[in-house]
Amino acid sequence: MPFSYSFYILSALSVISALFVVFSKKPVHSVLYLIFCFFTIAGHYLLLNAQFLFAVHLIVYAGAIMVLFLYTIMFINMNKEMEPHKSNLAKAGAVVAGGVLLLVVMAALKGAETIPLQAATEKNTGMVENLGMVLYNKYALPFEVASVLFLSAMVGAVLLSKKELD
Amino acid sequence: MNTIVTIAGLGILSMLSEIFHFKKQLFVLILLGLAAAIGISVMEWDTAYSYYNHMVLIDNYAIAFSVLLMSVTLLWFLMSQSYFKSESSMEAHAAIILFALCGAICMTCFSDLSMLFIGLEILSISMYVLCGSDKLNKRSNESAMKYFMMGAFATGFLLFGIALIYGVVGSFNLTDIATYTGQNVNNLPMIFYAGIVLLLVGLFFKVSAAPFHFWAPDVYDGAPTVITAFMATVVKTAAFAAFYRLFATCFSSVFTFWIDIIAIVAALTMLAGNILAVYQTSVKRMLAYSSVAHAGYILMALAAVSQSSKGAIFLYLIAYSLSTLGVFAVLNIIHEKKLSDDVSVFNGLAKSNPLAAAMISICMLSMAGIPPMAGFFGKYYIFLAALNSGFTWLVLMAVLSSLIGVFYYFRIVMAMYTGKNETTAFEIKGLPLFFLVLSGVLSVIIGLGTNFIVNLL
Repeated sequence: MPFSYSFYILSALSVISALFVVFSKKPVHSVLYLIFCFFTIAGHYLLLNAQFLFAVHLIVYAGAIMVLFLYTIMFINMNKEMEPHKSNLAKAGAVVAGGVLLLVVMAALKGAETIPLQAATEKNTGMVENLGMVLYNKYALPFEVASVLFLSAMVGAVLLSKKELD
Repeated sequence: MNTIVTIAGLGILSMLSEIFHFKKQLFVLILLGLAAAIGISVMEWDTAYSYYNHMVLIDNYAIAFSVLLMSVTLLWFLMSQSYFKSESSMEAHAAIILFALCGAICMTCFSDLSMLFIGLEILSISMYVLCGSDKLNKRSNESAMKYFMMGAFATGFLLFGIALIYGVVGSFNLTDIATYTGQNVNNLPMIFYAGIVLLLVGLFFKVSAAPFHFWAPDVYDGAPTVITAFMATVVKTAAFAAFYRLFATCFSSVFTFWIDIIAIVAALTMLAGNILAVYQTSVKRMLAYSSVAHAGYILMALAAVSQSSKGAIFLYLIAYSLSTLGVFAVLNIIHEKKLSDDVSVFNGLAKSNPLAAAMISICMLSMAGIPPMAGFFGKYYIFLAALNSGFTWLVLMAVLSSLIGVFYYFRIVMAMYTGKNETTAFEIKGLPLFFLVLSGVLSVIIGLGTNFIVNLL
């Protein structure tokens, strides 16, 4: 079944690239692996027949957010000496905490029901047209109220970055 | 619905005031606008109506809480007039506060999880900005950074919970979720419960409940004093209004699953807040811990989910907001003089200004839960609701932690009446004094009419 093969391949690729994001020593490499990870996740959207989400994901995450990340890395100039020294106790604590989390997640997954993998049946679900219909009809109010959210975020950004006139 | 539009419009108006040069009149305009919005909201009483494909439901619960939020904001504007006078960009601050209020109102009247999320985000993002609005102060920066990091993390939990519940039910609508859970009580999949737990984690963070309260003291302490007052009153009220609305409507048929979690968290929150507050020397920090403790009492009413707990939460939040605003009005004066807010700063206030001292005492007694102040009746109704639901152990814990609370609230009262000083380094007069008297008198009056308020909902 080609669908399930592509699902497994994509999932494996995204997990591996996510691991590389964490493990690579150089921040720019991390960012590159993150881009790859975003692409594989975008592949999942395509499998689920969500074309619009696929496009938006690529443009916003792999495009805009990644540029932002690169700018930040450029500005903060990460050197080896700058890295804070971590004590062995902290490292051991982190390992224990992470291990406990792993245990909890495994226990939770063991008890969870499995739902058989299905290819998307509805052909038109993820098309822009349908999304627009839902967004401007049913979800018109949240869509409009979100503008208040962006407005307050913008005013806030101006407020915080404005130079104080003393 | 008209209220949301009015408040958002008022926010845009305050942004326009700089361009069209009516900054001087803006303060009065905001007060009038808020009063008008309260009027509009009260007019809709008893006309439960659902707007825009059931996105919001304006029922009596929503109206009561929105009116409370708007009244508190109105009082808050009165209280923080001096803050707005000293700020160079007053209109931007006012606009963000009004947008935050708009988000808070969305959180009281949502009947769709998407509205809850957007309302919560409007409120949180505005608060992140306002916490850091004292830009030259390192503690304010730290507060904003901490709040932002932790808040974004909690929002992630909340969204994940919403996603899991949508995955099971296939709808964001509260009534749809309630119907679905009612029909499938016994064969709900595991991920539904996981969704409830994640929602709980997100909301526990927002109301600063015990294992997730570590951000609260630092953020409350670092933020400008008037902003702390806003966070302790409006943000907390909105978060609890949303919490009760969500869990009492959506998940009432699976309540056996979550009431124990809430009860344990409530007990932890009360104890942690009250015990840690005892060790604080700064009054602002002490009030931050006391607000954590108050969150614990209100969570008790949530655990005792019943018809009467709605009114009890409402009454408690009124009493708590009033006395908090009163105390913060005084703290604001102290901080504007750049005095340290150690308890000893109150020494001798009873001699130099007996009226102010009496009113601060009333606010403190109301928070501690001493009859006949409003705070006592808030606690009384919550304890009653918890006892009726069989949480005797929780009520015992609450009484115990209230006793610890009395200790640190009385420290301030004692400082005012028995302190050796003849005068204090700060004066309370004019608008702040009027404000303090108002909140003190209201605390007593509301204490007399509690029955009416509790039965309102």
